Amino acid sequence: MSEVRFVTREIGSLAKPGWRVKSIAGRPVEDPDVEYARKWGARLGINTEELTEILQKGQGFSDSEKAKIQDYAALYGIRLLENSGLDVVYDGEQRRSEMYDHVVKHAKGFETRGTVRSWDNKYYTKAAVVEKPLVEKTYDLEECEFVREHTDRTVKVPFTGAYTIMDWSYDEHYAGESSLLGASAERRSEARRVFGVDAARDVVRPNLAGVVEAGAEWVQVDEPAATTRPEEVPLVVETFNATREGIDARCSMHICFSDYSCLFPYIEELDDCYELQLEFSNRDSLETGTKGADRPGYAILDRFRESAWEGKIGLGVIDIHTDFIEPPELVRDRVLHAASVLGPERIEVNTDCGLRTRSWEVSYEKLVNMVEGARLAEEALNGR
Amino acid sequence: MAEIKAYTPGIYARSEELVQATRDFDRGRTTAEAVRQRQNEDLRNFLEVQREANFDYLSDGLLNWQDIFRPFDEAAVGLRPGSLTRFLNTNTFLRAPASEAGTPTLTEPLGEPYFRIGDLPRDGWVATLPSPHALAVTAAGELEPQVVAETMIGPQIRWLAGNGCAMVVLQETTLFEGSSDIFVLSEALDALKSPVPLALHLPFGDAGEVLGELVELDVEAIGVDFYATHVAALPRPFPKTLLAGVVDARNSLLEEPEEIAEFGRQLLEELGGDLHLVPNGDLQFVPEEIAREKVRRLGEAARILKEER
Repeated sequence: MSEVRFVTREIGSLAKPGWRVKSIAGRPVEDPDVEYARKWGARLGINTEELTEILQKGQGFSDSEKAKIQDYAALYGIRLLENSGLDVVYDGEQRRSEMYDHVVKHAKGFETRGTVRSWDNKYYTKAAVVEKPLVEKTYDLEECEFVREHTDRTVKVPFTGAYTIMDWSYDEHYAGESSLLGASAERRSEARRVFGVDAARDVVRPNLAGVVEAGAEWVQVDEPAATTRPEEVPLVVETFNATREGIDARCSMHICFSDYSCLFPYIEELDDCYELQLEFSNRDSLETGTKGADRPGYAILDRFRESAWEGKIGLGVIDIHTDFIEPPELVRDRVLHAASVLGPERIEVNTDCGLRTRSWEVSYEKLVNMVEGARLAEEALNGR
Repeated sequence: MAEIKAYTPGIYARSEELVQATRDFDRGRTTAEAVRQRQNEDLRNFLEVQREANFDYLSDGLLNWQDIFRPFDEAAVGLRPGSLTRFLNTNTFLRAPASEAGTPTLTEPLGEPYFRIGDLPRDGWVATLPSPHALAVTAAGELEPQVVAETMIGPQIRWLAGNGCAMVVLQETTLFEGSSDIFVLSEALDALKSPVPLALHLPFGDAGEVLGELVELDVEAIGVDFYATHVAALPRPFPKTLLAGVVDARNSLLEEPEEIAEFGRQLLEELGGDLHLVPNGDLQFVPEEIAREKVRRLGEAARILKEER
């Protein structure tokens, strides 16, 4: 019997350092920002001479300087993930503004409407679809190629999913000429379905196909909105399948902060979905223990065991909303519990979601412990 | 003759300036006082647009509430803000209340700054609170809706009534799964002992399946989202005041006042009873500029209907 080995990775985003945010936004880069770049460069083994020379200019960066800064931010992201020991990496989405905004600003058919709250004092920019949306070129190609050129690790490229694009957009087009005030459920549902499938075929797939054609072997469809409306989970599946159609690469889907029970039985209809990467630790106990009662956040795994869907579970073992650094032993026990429910062959290990709301210090410590916890779980299962 | 009113309960949208101020505050770039000043400016603007719309009740927009439960999570003994949880089918999250040992109790009702009574006209404003049932069901841990009503929401309502609140809208967000026990909700509402009219508002969801039971509850009004509920689902005649969610707080598409008025006419004709025009949920789900325009159009629709009566 082969030894158990848990694949580890981040889900997508990392925080953007001040020197990257300020320089691109046209705000002055200050000495502490330069020092931060120097400190993390040394920590990650990056030669910072060129970067700090540019940053010390402070403001008024040229387009080529901004491009260099973006490249360095991506390199820092790659190295941070590599140095924390992950098997699968990307660039922490350093070139992207935000997962939704990144798509709609590259697609025709959307107009920005303003800022709304996500929670507390966290916000996101929201757009309206005003005509049939369309992506005409692979806008993530350069980003993906840069990552490929700068790491030997497996690369997993995250893409915002079609259902989420639909759900997070205002609808000023598909709802028709008149509003949906008092409309039947069928009419409301049909408007959303057509928008979702159009987004899959004409927004996500063209970008994803171009990246795969350029050599990406693993694409992750991010659908944080997937279970927002339980009755629309079949539409989530339909949009995933429409996105995936004709794509010759490993495809997985990330869902978070949801009641996963509404995924059943519909996930059985997913076409060749390698894995579902799910958040769990946000709702779990912080005490160690591998029994079901010790791991309340993972109770839903029983449903996955019973389901006819046989894909892998990307197990969220790191809470991305707190600065609490999960001890390796806690990660170990979360993994061991999941392995006992589903079998270790169906488990891979990741954070609950992207780490963009955590500092690099916190993110790094969390990831290092995540990897160490995965190794401890392997040792336990491999009898060492 | 049926009474027609218009107002906007719930959490109102933050202006781009307030968004920036709160972001800056979180990043240590500005002070709490600067955020408060911006909230005051937002409140002044919100009150002004409501007055211009000739609303029957004014709202303070809960501009400093992080979510519908948070002030209670933070103030009540035995409760704390818990895990991040999706608010209905939106892309907005709240901290689900988490109960700790013992009965959660509001040692004293929430006042300023959570309710801006100094800025609101006595006997002319509407307050929004979580339904005790919604708070108990959303909470992690064992909480009885009736206990929440007796120890937290009831005392709060009586304090509001004593401070010039004319009506309380209870936001009920936990009835859409089809598994809720209406009897438990009924007991909790009875335990509130409210001296002011209560509305039970079901934002952002199809209330069709439960409306038949809800109309038996001891509240003056029921709130229905008409962007998710078909009008055919409402009992006829409708025995309560209807808070008709006729402005879509989840979409940027601006409603035509005449279209709202036309729908209002249909409701008046088919259902009878009093009609209060409201958004179908918190206006915080659209950018403030759009929310402001929706308020104006809601007021215009109410004006059209009132002039016809």
